[in-house]
Amino acid sequence: MTILNESGVPDVVSPLWGLAGLAERLPGALFVVIGTRADVHLAQSLSGFLPGFPADQPYGVIGVHPRVVFMVLEPEEKLASGALASRVVEAADSRRGVGFVLLITCRSVGLLGVDASFEAELSQRRLALPVRAVVPDTGISGFGVLSTSLEDSVIRTLIELCPMGGSEPKEERSYSKGNLFGKLRGQPGRRMSRERSIRRPVILLGALPGPQEELTAELEWVGVEVVGWLPGPDADWLPPIDEEAFVATADPYLTGAYRTTEERGATSIKTLLPIGVDGTARFIQDVAAWTGHGTGESDRARQVWEELEPLRNRIRGKRIFFTGDTGLEVPLARFLANAGAVILEVGTPRLDKRFLAAELAALGEDVDVVESPEWQAQLNRIDAARPDMVVASPGLYVPLVARGHLCRSSLDLLSLGVHGYEGAHRVLELFARTFERAEGLDALNL
Amino acid sequence: MRILRGIYEGPGSHGILRVAASMRRVHAVLRAYPSEGGFLALHGAWTHSGEPAPVSLSPIWDRPEESQRPGELARDLSWIARRRPEADALIFARSESALLSGEGAPILAFPENPESDRSPKLVICEWESPNMRELEASDLALMELVRAHTPNQPKSLAPTVNIFGPPIFGPNAAAEVAEVERILGLIGVDVNARVPLGASVDDLSRLTRAWANVVLYREAGESASLYLQDEFGMPRVTTPPVGSVGTGAVVRAVGELCSLDRLQVQRAVWAELARTAKLPWYARLVVPETFRGRRVALFGDFTYTTGLGYTLAREVGFKVAWAGTYLKYLEKDFLFHAATFTDEAFVEDDPQAVAARVEATTPDLLIGTHLEEEIADALGMPFLPLCPPVVEHPFAERPLMGYAGSSIVADAIDGALRAPWELRGEPEPAVSGLSWTDEALEELGEIPAFLRGRARRLAEEHARALNSPEVTPEILEESRS
Repeated sequence: MTILNESGVPDVVSPLWGLAGLAERLPGALFVVIGTRADVHLAQSLSGFLPGFPADQPYGVIGVHPRVVFMVLEPEEKLASGALASRVVEAADSRRGVGFVLLITCRSVGLLGVDASFEAELSQRRLALPVRAVVPDTGISGFGVLSTSLEDSVIRTLIELCPMGGSEPKEERSYSKGNLFGKLRGQPGRRMSRERSIRRPVILLGALPGPQEELTAELEWVGVEVVGWLPGPDADWLPPIDEEAFVATADPYLTGAYRTTEERGATSIKTLLPIGVDGTARFIQDVAAWTGHGTGESDRARQVWEELEPLRNRIRGKRIFFTGDTGLEVPLARFLANAGAVILEVGTPRLDKRFLAAELAALGEDVDVVESPEWQAQLNRIDAARPDMVVASPGLYVPLVARGHLCRSSLDLLSLGVHGYEGAHRVLELFARTFERAEGLDALNL
Repeated sequence: MRILRGIYEGPGSHGILRVAASMRRVHAVLRAYPSEGGFLALHGAWTHSGEPAPVSLSPIWDRPEESQRPGELARDLSWIARRRPEADALIFARSESALLSGEGAPILAFPENPESDRSPKLVICEWESPNMRELEASDLALMELVRAHTPNQPKSLAPTVNIFGPPIFGPNAAAEVAEVERILGLIGVDVNARVPLGASVDDLSRLTRAWANVVLYREAGESASLYLQDEFGMPRVTTPPVGSVGTGAVVRAVGELCSLDRLQVQRAVWAELARTAKLPWYARLVVPETFRGRRVALFGDFTYTTGLGYTLAREVGFKVAWAGTYLKYLEKDFLFHAATFTDEAFVEDDPQAVAARVEATTPDLLIGTHLEEEIADALGMPFLPLCPPVVEHPFAERPLMGYAGSSIVADAIDGALRAPWELRGEPEPAVSGLSWTDEALEELGEIPAFLRGRARRLAEEHARALNSPEVTPEILEESRS
């Protein structure tokens, strides 16, 4: 594996594109996007159809989720302090089932001299609900924004909302501010009372679109006590994250969230991400080991690999290129390489070498990682290499298809649910399906 | 500061990028934060075009002084110019955040590009401001490009005109220009240049050869054509060629400016009316009662709203309940033109306020942008998204302008009115039998205006289903979940 820093401008869509998906996965959250016309325009237009992304529009023509509100600031306007908070309060009051409010604070807000955290504080006091300002695009590690940066920032904010607990029983440690949070839904059914021993329960980080339950089941199967997922299916439930907590991160782009858990003194389990067969196996094994359960997953992994054999045959030797924009590229490339594909390039706008140390170490020898790639140079490299498949960012999808390359959108993989053994299956199936369809289309006599 | 359900217009930089992406061999350099990316993706989604949008980012980020990373504006510009030897002009745009953070415009001239032996021109938009919106910026950006490239030169021998059409992402932009070009061809007027869609810098430098400028889409062609009028004395035609009347007016005006024989022009118009333009024919076929008392409401940009408003009022026979635009900078012009076909014209850029107006008037037909679709759906009224911005960007473009466009308008109206008439045959549930408790009414008042009509209907249906004599807050709540 070699890492090359191209120091270019990668093609990354604004992290605001992911609002609808996040709103969907965080049922109790009200998202108030605060920004100028430009920010709202991006959030709005990117909520609609993006190239290579399934075009089902569950939220009407505009594509804006009902729990997403746009607050447009005018550049000339002098805002009295607290003015913003009053509108946030109005917006939250007129909606049912709001458990907490996230003020998605675009960069322009600071430039206009609005103190979003103060406004958040103020609205929190008036609403008696947690209100937090979230900056969608802070890259923790130097340059570069990922199209998933908003998700990282939101989860980081959720961690900040998590209680720092003493040692009182866990039920009471879940967040309840003015009783509103707890009142909304019943307490989630957690598996609490297994044997009380030195074994430690683990908190899992990641707003996975589907596979949370699968992974939980796998972990419980080997005896790990799973406190829950953050964010979990129950919006009002937040686990205590402090020195005693054991945290495992499931997504490669959650670098900010991961650091926040470390800052809180929680123990982060360093392992592969639960993506792909070996990744999932190592993840389960290491999480089990850290939390005091010995287990070997190699039998299970071998069995899954065997089950995947027919799918594997269909992608063996295929040459795959990742232009890179979501941050999901490295573990996916690792899995596909293990499954027999040839990875030509793994682009990634930024690379947190510390957080992804295990992943990078597990990457095959002949895989090249290009940090901060220049998208125009990538187009040339793709033309020269003629890969069998390009996992393309939304901006490059159409131009690449037009040049005769077979593409899948990176966002498509993001929403596929790539985690766990089932996820590995889904990934291979998606690639196989795509090759199959391309072959079908190529066979047509046009 | 306002809470908006959506916005009609993007920021100024988006307008500049639209103009640049409309043209050939023009490259835009956007000074912005890395998190403001998206134009490339939108360009791909809306144009289905194989060419990546001619837009490069000069990112604003913290970078070490001596770093080779992009981010230093002057160096980025030179680098982009070198990488794009085919670009004859580079236009510089700043995102709103860039403007707010005080990013200045660069001063530099490019060295000659060794590959093309030319040095590209750098076009700077000094007027950029975070207050300016998309269409006004696109109008001014086009003027800057025209101003940078137009020499004085003799007119063409045969009469020719320039067509100023909609920029890229305008629905049917190419089809509108093609249709007008076809019609002008019928009276023997050639098109000298089409601007901005598909125009190159060479086309811009040819502009002053034409005898006149035909402005189809004033939102993007106003300033450029005014500049050409002031500097080079080029007359312009600004009537939107929508409907047979509008198109006829444009054709006759061009004929006049090109000193064509009036009778010949009129013959061409008659031939088109017989062959292509079906809107007058539709208006005659349908019995007068069809439109009597039927009210249409229009909301959108300037050109389509006024053009369609006039057409529907005069040529079809609707009553135009109101017409509105979101283009604040064209307010005076809009109110003036809209007054020719409606008593109520307004400027508004909050979709919810427009929706509230729709709900208050419940017109028989609503013509608007895609942001009006929600309220039209909620109220179950016939709706045509004919005004930009629209989300549909079909592969096969169909013009709304010109004579062919008039037929498409006729079909659209016919189709929109047909379906709901069948629906109207169903008995409307009686509203009178149900009363609302005060608390329920209060709660209803809290529902956003544009959803209220639907919520009221659902609640009453639910109350009837429960055999309740009145609508209580509980029933209202249940019906909404």
